Amino acid sequence: MTTLDTAPVAAPAAAPARAVRVWRTLRSSRAAVIGLSVVAVHVLIALLAPLLTTYDPIANSADEALLGPSRQHWAGTDQYGRDVLARVLYGGRYALGVSVTATLLTVALGTVIGCAAALRGGRFDDVLGRILDAVLSVPAILTLLVVVTALGTGPSVIVLAIAVVYVPQVVRVVRGAALAVVPQDYVTAARARGEGTWAILRREILPNITDVVCVEFAMRASWVVLLISSLSFLGFGADPPTPDWGLMVAENRTAITVVPMASLAPIIALATLVVGLNLAADGLSKAWGVDRIREGS
Amino acid sequence: MPDIHHPGRRSVLAAGAAGAASLGASWLLTGCTGAASAPVLPVAARQGTPDRGGTLRIARPPASDAETLDPAGALSAYEYLGALYNRLVRIGRDGALAPDLAESWEPDDQARTWTFRLRKGVTFHDGRAFTAADAAYTLRHILDKRTASPQAAVLAPLVDPARLRTPDDHTLVVPLKTPNAEFPSLLTHYNCYVVPDGSARSIGRTGIGTGPFKLESFAPAGPGRVTAYKDHWQGRPVLDAITFFTVADMSARSNALLAGQVDLLSQTNLDFATARVIAASDRATIARVENAQWYVLPMLTTEKPFTDVRVRQAMKLAYDPEHVVKVALQGAGTAGWDNPVPPSDPAHISAHPEHDPEKARHLLKKAGHEGLAVDLYTSSYDPVFTPMALAYQDSARRAGIRVRVRTAAADSYYTQIWMKKPLMATYWYTGRPVDQLFTQVFRGGSSYNETAWSDKDFDALLDRARRETDDTRRRELYGEAQTFVVDKGGAITPMFADRLVGVSRKVRGYAEHGFEFDYLGIGLKGA
Amino acid sequence: MLSFVARRIAAALGTLLLASVLVFLAVQALPGDVATQVLGKDATPDAVAALRGQLGLDRPAWERYIDWAGGALHGDFGTSLVSGKAVGGEVASYLGNSALIALVTVLFAVTGSIVLGVLAGLYRDRWPDHLISTASLVGMSVPEFVVATVLVLCFSVALPWFPAVVLYGPEASVGQLLPAVWLPALSLAIVMAAYIVRMARTSVIDVMASDYVTTARLKGLSTWRVVTRHALPSALLPTLHVIALNVAWLVGGVAVVENVFNYPGVGKLLLSSVQNRDLPVIQAVALVSAVVYVTCNLAADLGAMALNPKLRTRGRTR
Repeated sequence: MTTLDTAPVAAPAAAPARAVRVWRTLRSSRAAVIGLSVVAVHVLIALLAPLLTTYDPIANSADEALLGPSRQHWAGTDQYGRDVLARVLYGGRYALGVSVTATLLTVALGTVIGCAAALRGGRFDDVLGRILDAVLSVPAILTLLVVVTALGTGPSVIVLAIAVVYVPQVVRVVRGAALAVVPQDYVTAARARGEGTWAILRREILPNITDVVCVEFAMRASWVVLLISSLSFLGFGADPPTPDWGLMVAENRTAITVVPMASLAPIIALATLVVGLNLAADGLSKAWGVDRIREGS
Repeated sequence: MPDIHHPGRRSVLAAGAAGAASLGASWLLTGCTGAASAPVLPVAARQGTPDRGGTLRIARPPASDAETLDPAGALSAYEYLGALYNRLVRIGRDGALAPDLAESWEPDDQARTWTFRLRKGVTFHDGRAFTAADAAYTLRHILDKRTASPQAAVLAPLVDPARLRTPDDHTLVVPLKTPNAEFPSLLTHYNCYVVPDGSARSIGRTGIGTGPFKLESFAPAGPGRVTAYKDHWQGRPVLDAITFFTVADMSARSNALLAGQVDLLSQTNLDFATARVIAASDRATIARVENAQWYVLPMLTTEKPFTDVRVRQAMKLAYDPEHVVKVALQGAGTAGWDNPVPPSDPAHISAHPEHDPEKARHLLKKAGHEGLAVDLYTSSYDPVFTPMALAYQDSARRAGIRVRVRTAAADSYYTQIWMKKPLMATYWYTGRPVDQLFTQVFRGGSSYNETAWSDKDFDALLDRARRETDDTRRRELYGEAQTFVVDKGGAITPMFADRLVGVSRKVRGYAEHGFEFDYLGIGLKGA
Repeated sequence: MLSFVARRIAAALGTLLLASVLVFLAVQALPGDVATQVLGKDATPDAVAALRGQLGLDRPAWERYIDWAGGALHGDFGTSLVSGKAVGGEVASYLGNSALIALVTVLFAVTGSIVLGVLAGLYRDRWPDHLISTASLVGMSVPEFVVATVLVLCFSVALPWFPAVVLYGPEASVGQLLPAVWLPALSLAIVMAAYIVRMARTSVIDVMASDYVTTARLKGLSTWRVVTRHALPSALLPTLHVIALNVAWLVGGVAVVENVFNYPGVGKLLLSSVQNRDLPVIQAVALVSAVVYVTCNLAADLGAMALNPKLRTRGRTR
């Protein structure tokens, strides 16, 4: 939803210690383990979709339209006679593909800009802060609609649109985290050694805010999945017959009383993926002491 | 005739359980049983005599903020027109012309001058008597450039507004510039509703006509209300009033019907899945208007690759219309075989080239477009667009044509996509007489020529046909015109669909065919 | 302290100015010439040129921006390209309708989630906490259109308690809209509450573990008093901020939900004006939302300062 300022404290850490810490985190946080496993299952299903079903998620079959669950079609069929389960399984490919790309781009851009702002400070930081505030004050849905109507539908446009909406929020969070690192001795030392901004960023700052960035990634991903499905639902997202979960709900929601599974199945898929991502974000932030809830929304 | 969809189990259960529980349970049960049984839809609304009085609530899509009540205008609020106005001539149930405000009409022996004898004792809503001056004014109003009426393109080559004659109050004489044996059929169009003499400036707001209802309120793309006109020449309508609401989203519209907030969905051809949901509900059911929707995938013949007639032919041969009817309509319609004249029209010819993906492939190869990839635009404007597009895509794949279905916004579909994108999905109401149809949609230069197809030989053929006074010969010429369009034109016409109209179970006396809607007889029972 | 308030207000105004520039630029980027759009099928080159002149589209962008921003300061947002009515009045009536939903949503969300959040915090790691936490997790994970669709099926179709759609236009009276407000507001509140619950829970846990609560308990204060005196206020404070920040989200969420319910609100206006390229309306809606967003944030900041003595003295770190 929105972003609150935050200033989590990150301790400097060496590489081997970090690996140990990650392992310990994962062992200690049940939520993170469950969340990450749910996401992993989704990834596996998406990758193996062609092996898990013999049905074509796109081909029409008029004789089998609007069937309830049966031995042949575990989740029934939709009004084109397409197997709902096959569409849900393949739908993961689209949902994960687009949202992971979008989240990666968003978090990467946001991290670089956020760190740069923290490191450079001064006027650059001030101006950036003002611009981000202004961008944040414009309703996200408007930004999305403008980008999508300006550039047309398609996965790459959606990725771009999401980046435009979420980068400012990531910048704020990352900047907050980086600000805690910048005054540390080792950064000052690096500066004294005359290292460039980019080098300091990469060697000194980034390793120390990995946890914030990871939590940010998991949390952002959960919103991106939701946002993409909302866009599809409004008719600004994926083009039919793409097996996209949001689109499936939009296509089948009027028929929910006749073939409930046709809309329930994609909802379940969508919700479990988002729950998984949320749990992972929760678990990781708790284990790492990142104030997730304040960051959240 | 009772509706045939439910096998009785549901009603037994509903009787057994009480109140709210039964509603919830029946909803769940239809969810389960509906899945296994073969899809069956009722064919008509409930029959029987309606109670006198009552208010019918109709939900319609908002056409545009620019819509008016001027029937001659381009963006008219269609639902209001039939309630507020009459035409000189309308189309009867059998597809033939029927008298409306004109009691009879006859041509001279060359079909060059037409004389209409007008009905007596007809009054407008403001009390004025209807005379030949009003009828003549209506034609002049349509032909007036400032009106920008779409029907002007059809009538202007025929009618000179200065030469209309009204020898007495109840006779209108229309001399034509060129002979036309089908002229009265052109006056059945919805742009030709009769308005009072001299009303051009006000008619868009006042809606004063001779129809069974008079206007109480109207807001463009908003709600409105009409009330019974007691002095209507055919007698008072059954209803006291009709309230119109506008709902943009199709599923919101059907939800309003399911929740009992409205009684009828106009301009809404329900897709098969929604139709089944409505038919299975306690409050509403489905009425079918046979072959009332004429679906088209127009190829813009001015845009590549459709400038090449071989590509157009390949696009038509590549797909199987029967497959489209099956997938998109679940059989509730008739395959069109790219002939725009509906099977119910007396002039319809049934001969057509067979579905032949191999030949399509061959034609594309010759045209240098092997493995053709095209974008096909659809929108949620009409719920059958996307199913039709997907079915076409699926079927044309066998000819090696790759179709990418793209969704465009419903609100701006007819300003941004129609007649702008090379390939898109659209529909017309059937019920246009054959000459009107060809002149309006296929003749070179017409404002509704959605394929921008312009062929001098075809236009000459039309001219010959409309001049021909011998009925049999004229029908043959219109048959030739159909073959011409199927062979060379830019319109892919996969199917004629039954219009699946959502109506409340309380509605009685519902009758609709083509553009014609019976506002006089429709009513409610036990409302 | 006063200077802090002044600084905050100045910053808010600066943000608004920048936002107005961004909005203006973004809207100019929309494809499709407005003149062609307005004229539709009758767009001859002459007519397009004439209309462009009439709309001032042939002037440089910065001039048009100054004109527009100047007018907006006086509440004059131009005329809608589609309906030809004054944009200000049109947006105001839609905005009023949305405000009705927003008000009910916030009421539902805040009362519901504070109660649940405090409960979860008090019963930390016991079954009420698990139940509430799981429910809020699910609430966060389900898109609002799903919630809205399910609510319509249950409470308007199966049980005819509420209208499924709104049949009136933007001029509808509050009385006409009131029956239709509950379901859209509930759908939004469920999604929004999911976030607030988690927030309130954490705050309560923090407070209950704090020294002064321990002291209060040792002094023999009843649990009820501890909750009302300490837990509730501490849950309210951060919630205030979440609500303010959610105003921006509400506009987006409202667009989806208003679409499902055909509710004549600002989200629906935004959707249709983007589709119709009604630029003056888009700009006005965006600017008004920015004003609302900035104002709410400012109010929340100042409110938080008033409520929290620590913040009052220290000022806020940005």
